[in-house]
Amino acid sequence: MIEVRALHVTLQEKTLLSDISFRLNAGDYLVVVGPNGAGKSSLLKAMMGIIDKDSGEILFHGQALSDYSQRELARLVSYVPQSSGRELPFAVEDFLKMSRYAHHSALSEWQPDDQAAVEDALRITNTAQFRQRQMTTLSGGESQRVMIAAALAQQTQVMLLDEPTSYLDPHHQVEVHRVIARLNEQLGITVIEVSHDINHAGQKGRQVLALADAQAVWQGPGDIFLEQERLQRLYQQEFVFVTHPRSGRTIALADPL
Amino acid sequence: MTATTKLSLLSLLSLAVMLMAPFAGLGDIADELVRQQILYEIRLPRTLFAFVAGAGLALCGMVFQAMFHNPLATPFTLGVASGASFGAALTVFLGLNVSLLGFDAITLGAFIGALAAISFVYGISRLHYSFSIETLLLTGVATSFFFSSLILFTQYLSDINDSFRILRWLMGGLSISGYQSLLQLLPIVAFSVGIMIWLSRELNLLMAGDDIAISRGVAVKRVRYLLFFTTSLCVGAIVALCGPIGFVGMMVPHICRLIIGTDHRWLIPATLIFGGGFLILCDTLARLVIAPAELPVGIITTLLGGPFFLWLLVRSRRSA
Repeated sequence: MIEVRALHVTLQEKTLLSDISFRLNAGDYLVVVGPNGAGKSSLLKAMMGIIDKDSGEILFHGQALSDYSQRELARLVSYVPQSSGRELPFAVEDFLKMSRYAHHSALSEWQPDDQAAVEDALRITNTAQFRQRQMTTLSGGESQRVMIAAALAQQTQVMLLDEPTSYLDPHHQVEVHRVIARLNEQLGITVIEVSHDINHAGQKGRQVLALADAQAVWQGPGDIFLEQERLQRLYQQEFVFVTHPRSGRTIALADPL
Repeated sequence: MTATTKLSLLSLLSLAVMLMAPFAGLGDIADELVRQQILYEIRLPRTLFAFVAGAGLALCGMVFQAMFHNPLATPFTLGVASGASFGAALTVFLGLNVSLLGFDAITLGAFIGALAAISFVYGISRLHYSFSIETLLLTGVATSFFFSSLILFTQYLSDINDSFRILRWLMGGLSISGYQSLLQLLPIVAFSVGIMIWLSRELNLLMAGDDIAISRGVAVKRVRYLLFFTTSLCVGAIVALCGPIGFVGMMVPHICRLIIGTDHRWLIPATLIFGGGFLILCDTLARLVIAPAELPVGIITTLLGGPFFLWLLVRSRRSA
């Protein structure tokens, strides 16, 4: 359902993405990894129409991104930006309601299914208890969940998430990832997530796209991603590998020695 | 208090100001006929004119604050009003006398000046992908100075009468008589208000930042150009008719946001009502402070606005 072909993006003569290609089926979960400045966020922004591409194709359901109006695109794809959202001057529920924009015209009224979408989003992300609170008063973990809830209220088949766990403590990281996994597995939402957590990427059922210097250096299934030479080339860093004592999964750890 | 109650209270307050303003300082005129004439030919049109101009200025400020996510960003701080002033001053100086679609030369000149200024400031801010609000404000200040010196230049080249007229006009004033200026301004402000109401959801989303607005489905570029055009037209028309009246567009929407919240479906009517009432109040003050002479209203709004600007600046620094 998603196809990216030979995508090139430059901004002020700096190449952000060069010759990126991949395909995803409905319900896939792609984790985009790579060092800082590799172009991961730019990929999501290009797919959302926030930055323009120079050449190549981005297709949803076989139709080019440029053939969708921004409103049509927003009914198909939603986006969780890197920012925590704690600077936004809105109450949580109002912010979620604003996500229904693409389902409305200038004059249409708020409908029961709009409210249902908001309620579902609050329930799934476990954020209903602070629906009345101002975004500015939320903690990092709470606001990250609200940002996901807001994207969810948009009711799209595809969700793009830019480091949704970056500012969170381990407990909240697990919680947010559990929410995303639920969206992917139970609701069948196609997920593309930018992450620095290589062990999160390197799991069965995930696809991995590794970017470095604006280029795709590796792509493949998550369960074979964690490999010594590949990680070292990608991050310029030694890793050690251990087996998780309970799940038996391989875990990679950056080795400071 | 619900938003409806707050809005009703604001309306009542504004209406009270509007009803009382025409009568202020009218008591000492003995001749009934003269009094009637002053009331209907001078005070009433002036009060209505002040309302429309104040509402327009406040709404344009509100739009800029939403678009640039900062209470300090208004048509005045970003140099748009200076651009409009220069456009208007230039048409006066050149003695141009064309009209298009019912707009006179000064209004057209002010509109073109406003549009040039906003295009310039916005263009500069786009040169760097990650521009800060400081860069934007500084660009606005530079643009203001640039157009101010062009106005001074125009003034220098004018004869003493024109020069004084330009100076007096630059102070901002609402001393009109009759209904002609009101009828000229009203359709432009009404058109602008219509556009803003039509775009109130987009304005809400723009406050969340461009990236979020785009991802929610707003065609941000198109909306922004439409709003630039609308505010330029509105600011241009107001500046052409009453000179640059500063700070209304900064204070009013900010106070309204504190009172009624950030949802533009409520904020637009609140800003309209409060902005109109506020300028009537300032104009009445301007008439009474050194009566029987009167101050240019721009002096009053700027005297109030300067400290307000500094307060906002200190506050936003502290929270940043």
